[in-house]
Amino acid sequence: MREWFNRLVDVFRRRTLDRELEEELRFHARHLEREAAEAGLSREDARVQAGRSLGNVTRITEDVRARWSFAWIDHLQQDVRFAWRGLRRTPSFTVSVVVTLALGIGANTVMFGVMDRLMFRPLDYLRDPGTVHRLYLQTLERGVVNTSVWVQYERYRDFEAKTSSFAQIACVNERLMAVGRGDALREIRVAGVTASYFDFFDMAPAAGRFFGPSEDIAPSGTPVAVLAHGYWVAEYGRRDVVGETIALGNLSVTIIGVAPPGFTGLDDAQPSQIFVPLTALGPAMGGQATAGFSQGYRFLWGAAIVRRKPDVSEARATADATEAYRLSWQRQREAAPPGTPPLRSLEDAQPRVVVSALRTGNGPAPSLDARTSLWTSGVAALLLIITVANVANLLLGRTLERRQDTAVRLALGVSRRRLIAHLLTESVVLAVLGALGAVGVTYWLGSAVLGVLTTTTGSAAGLLDSRTLLVTAGLTVVVGLMTGLVPAWIASRVTVAPALRRGPREAGGSARLRMALVVMQAALSLVLIVGALLFVRSLAAVRSMPLGYEPDRIVMVNQVLRGAPMQPAALVALRQSLLEAARVHPAVEAAAWRSSTPLGTTMQLRFTADGAPPVETLGLFSGQEGTPDYFAVMGTRILRGRPFTEDDRAGAPRVAVVSESTARVLWPGQEAIGKCLRFGPPPAECTSVIGIAEDIVANSLTETERYQVYFPIEQTSPQGGSGMFLRVRGDAAAQAAVLRQALQPLMPGTSYLTVQPMSSLLVRPQRSWRLGATMFGAFGMLALVVAAIGLYGVISYGVAQRRREMGVRIALGAGRGDIVWLVTRQGLAVAIAGVMLGVCLALVFSGQVQPLLFSQSAKDPGVYATAGGVLVLVAVVATLLPAARASRANPTEALRGE
Amino acid sequence: MTPIKNPLLPGLLDMLVLKTLSVESLHGYGIAQHLHLLSRDVLRVEEGSLYPALQRMRQKGWIKAEWRQTANNQRARYYTLTTLGRRQLGEQEAGFAELMSAVRRVMKQA
Repeated sequence: MREWFNRLVDVFRRRTLDRELEEELRFHARHLEREAAEAGLSREDARVQAGRSLGNVTRITEDVRARWSFAWIDHLQQDVRFAWRGLRRTPSFTVSVVVTLALGIGANTVMFGVMDRLMFRPLDYLRDPGTVHRLYLQTLERGVVNTSVWVQYERYRDFEAKTSSFAQIACVNERLMAVGRGDALREIRVAGVTASYFDFFDMAPAAGRFFGPSEDIAPSGTPVAVLAHGYWVAEYGRRDVVGETIALGNLSVTIIGVAPPGFTGLDDAQPSQIFVPLTALGPAMGGQATAGFSQGYRFLWGAAIVRRKPDVSEARATADATEAYRLSWQRQREAAPPGTPPLRSLEDAQPRVVVSALRTGNGPAPSLDARTSLWTSGVAALLLIITVANVANLLLGRTLERRQDTAVRLALGVSRRRLIAHLLTESVVLAVLGALGAVGVTYWLGSAVLGVLTTTTGSAAGLLDSRTLLVTAGLTVVVGLMTGLVPAWIASRVTVAPALRRGPREAGGSARLRMALVVMQAALSLVLIVGALLFVRSLAAVRSMPLGYEPDRIVMVNQVLRGAPMQPAALVALRQSLLEAARVHPAVEAAAWRSSTPLGTTMQLRFTADGAPPVETLGLFSGQEGTPDYFAVMGTRILRGRPFTEDDRAGAPRVAVVSESTARVLWPGQEAIGKCLRFGPPPAECTSVIGIAEDIVANSLTETERYQVYFPIEQTSPQGGSGMFLRVRGDAAAQAAVLRQALQPLMPGTSYLTVQPMSSLLVRPQRSWRLGATMFGAFGMLALVVAAIGLYGVISYGVAQRRREMGVRIALGAGRGDIVWLVTRQGLAVAIAGVMLGVCLALVFSGQVQPLLFSQSAKDPGVYATAGGVLVLVAVVATLLPAARASRANPTEALRGE
Repeated sequence: MTPIKNPLLPGLLDMLVLKTLSVESLHGYGIAQHLHLLSRDVLRVEEGSLYPALQRMRQKGWIKAEWRQTANNQRARYYTLTTLGRRQLGEQEAGFAELMSAVRRVMKQA
């Protein structure tokens, strides 16, 4: 209350109060003196008498001063200042510890940030995140469970109608779309959401309003839009835009509101900038299938998000949703248009739904990214262990060095409690400095990781938010305490007399402990280096894997048609003009029109092959349509037979080229050329195989089946196709912009072209190996640095201890080289022990890491040998400096010392 | 008669100081003298306990301190009783009286 408040205030007025007290006591003493003098004593005697009456001034002062200082504040200040001075006097020790802590804490903070974003962080404004889930649809395909988050609009409506466990349900489709016209045209991320999606969040619009159910009615919805806050600020400078229109794809939408800052749709790694009703997204995309998006089961159209009712468990919700899925599946079977192959039966496909986490990283089928990140977190934890061991080791060494000091202080009367408090203060100061360094490491490492994980180039400050800073602080406290306790405890056990007598000589037990710690660090470092090498080699293998085409030389041109649908003749004419213009362009070697995109959108084929087993039992067959130049443009070799020619046009006999694997699986051991494929219900015309092409990577980098069939586009879709592939001279990435400028003028009205190098398709699939290589590589290096520092610390300390011994040896005639070898031998022993232990550890985990790698064995001896070599080399380098110092020891000085 | 240095309980000391200050504002030395005089040399308060007590009472808000000039034109810190202190004095006085009568009742038994 009042007293404590005043005491606190007085703490800040300490100096003034001290002065006043001093003056007051002097006044008192003077009067006592005068009193004694008046009683008849002499001058001198009076002063003595006064002094005696007053008592011990120091005691009085101390007692009074206790009123305006809390003892522990004073002690704390003292300790911190003392610790700071002590640390400044031993810069190499301080720097080693701070760097080690910064690396260990920083790396873990980064991994926490990454895992948080991939798996746990709830979306901004989401009400009750614990009850919000995503639906994961699973079917059985040839014995393997296939998980997907995509649902058709009709399926979403089925879920809405047939489930009872959900208080809310919504559907979200996020994709890139062209916004604006002419020069202002840009591709940005747009989200089509059902009006119910906004109800999931507790937020008010920054301007205007959100759209409601009346604007989201199938089949076409209402062309309205809500802007994301960031987009509104960047594009419109916060002015009032409600009522203005934007050209979104094929539609002109009216802005009705702006979302509050932080609302990004469903994916906050790739935030959406404009939100439109889901039913309006189809019309915005345009093209022939506009009406079909919101009807029927043809198109997978979005992700289903649900909110569980409060009294419903996840298990019950899962069962409920599965039942609804089965009903929907049956409905789809019955509604299949005649002539198309029916959906598989319920018994065959066994559809089920899993109601799981909103973030796919935490769902039933986490991506390779998420799994790699999980592993890397384990790695970071390992690094933290190494860090703690290292710092504890260094602090221990320092404590042992100062044993004599400690004994003296104890002899002078410092209580053991104060001693421990002082040592802990030192650890805490180091930890705080380490934490500051960790923030820097988080910033630097965080930007590297975020660069790999997300497509948005958000600043790495995004990783440094309140949650991660809290984690940093927490880790710092834990690490500070853990590393400080052991030395503090050991220091407190110093007995005064023996320590004073013996001087700073080390006991055997702690030396072994410290060596063991360093061996452990070396082992863990080896594990990390092995991991790094495995991922780096996987990445290299991925990059150099033959794709069957050359993405570095190919530019993809996609046409996006807007406005009224064009007549077939006009479409064909447009295609011709684009192809001609491309072919005469100096940068282009060859051009071909096509419909599918490898690693992008591919066509799944259903057909029968004469003399072959039913194709549904064999696997997935992908289709591609192209003009005759297609194979030349792609660089895909024709192994036997011939590619298409101009003669393979509409009306001519139907032909196809198949990939080598297709030929092998359909007609094993036989010649495929000449065989018939039949598309459509019987009696279907024979499409004869005229050529065998090499296998290409069509659907994913890790696919094992390469079943591809190619058709001349003139025969299958004369007015169709999505655009061109252009084979360019030189580098595709450089030519893309140039080609766009040259070809765009040919597009009618507001239609436009998107032009990209084909290599951009590879970025996303390669991401998990890039992530692994980056993270393991970074952490491996950090671990190596930390272990090297640890080894250096221990060896230096040992050398300092054995100064006399070195002096004796030199005096007895040992050469420099001998001494260096003596010291280096220790470092080597540690390294070799670490390597052996590390290899064992790595082999234990190799089985679980294997699925994350690419054509790289987790037990590759070459990798292990390299990692071992690196560790040994680093160990030798770390020991060189102390070894050199040892060899320069002056024998007479060493012998005289102590 | 040699002055007996009676150990004074802190509570008691507070009460005596408050009483002293209820008459007039005094500096530290003055308070010590006053107590010495009035108690006829029995109560010799030690400066070691007086000054801490004064600071404690100041922080509790019972007295306030200010620097003034003495009669001899010297600077001294004078303490004055506050309203809160006056109330506190009343309470402590009552409490002490109760204590004394209780002790007396016990002693009368013998």
